[in-house]
Amino acid sequence: MNIQFKKGVLELCALALLAKKNRYGYELVNEISKNISISEGTIYPLLRRLKNDGYVTTYLEESKEGAPRKYYQLTEAGKKVGKELKEEWLTFVKKVNSFLKGGVKDE
Amino acid sequence: MNKKDFMNKLSAYLGGIPGEDRQDVISDFEEHFKEGLAEGRTEEEIAGSLGDPKSLANQFKASILVSEAEKTTSAVNIIRAVFATLGLGFLNLVFILGPFIAIVAVLVSLFASAIAIIAAGITVFFASIFGPLIPQYFAVLINPAVAIFGSIGVTCFGILFFVGCIYLSKILYRLFVRYIKFNLRIISGKE
Repeated sequence: MNIQFKKGVLELCALALLAKKNRYGYELVNEISKNISISEGTIYPLLRRLKNDGYVTTYLEESKEGAPRKYYQLTEAGKKVGKELKEEWLTFVKKVNSFLKGGVKDE
Repeated sequence: MNKKDFMNKLSAYLGGIPGEDRQDVISDFEEHFKEGLAEGRTEEEIAGSLGDPKSLANQFKASILVSEAEKTTSAVNIIRAVFATLGLGFLNLVFILGPFIAIVAVLVSLFASAIAIIAAGITVFFASIFGPLIPQYFAVLINPAVAIFGSIGVTCFGILFFVGCIYLSKILYRLFVRYIKFNLRIISGKE
């Protein structure tokens, strides 16, 4: 898939995944790269940016395997932005789809 | 590339960002390797799928330095932020450095005009007071009262203009930081 497509939706994917539950970095990377092929490392600068912008906070939690994991949690601002991005995306996709199906009436 | 090579490269390319931030980035990737190894992947596989450490380091650098520039308004910070984004690819030369130079040029010329107006006002003011004492050097051709009050007016206008320039710089600074952030979301990394 086109790289510009992927970059744009990466943030949306991360926010959507975090909206369901708090996740740690490796888990997020896995979930995203399972479906979208992208350099896995790219997720980390993105998470960093989300944190700088106050959309997520982080906390450490011990794992069963022993090593502590850094978990990411959405803040209120993050939830709001995530919702807005999702709405925008859905409307956008709907419009593009209607173009692709050739079903636009007003032209 | 094994874990050590990856980490060394990453850390080398992260030069120029505060030590605490750097440590944070390093420990994120340490954790990533640990999780991957626990899943039975090899160091080479993990490093390979993470991507180019130089490109990753540049992405971190850009977002960290831009948020520094956002937190603390300073000429040094904004210049560092602008240069950090240049590491992300050729397009930023056009989309970030270009507008940045244009804005700086406009601000410099506005400040220069303000200073010139103030200097002119002050010069005329003193010339109209002291000029008559040394008529061989100065000849004030207009009514001295008009010259004195006129020059005070011009000086005040120059000072207001200067203060206006300061406000304008601050507004442009904030807008430009937002513009860079917007760009980072779209063109982060060259891949």
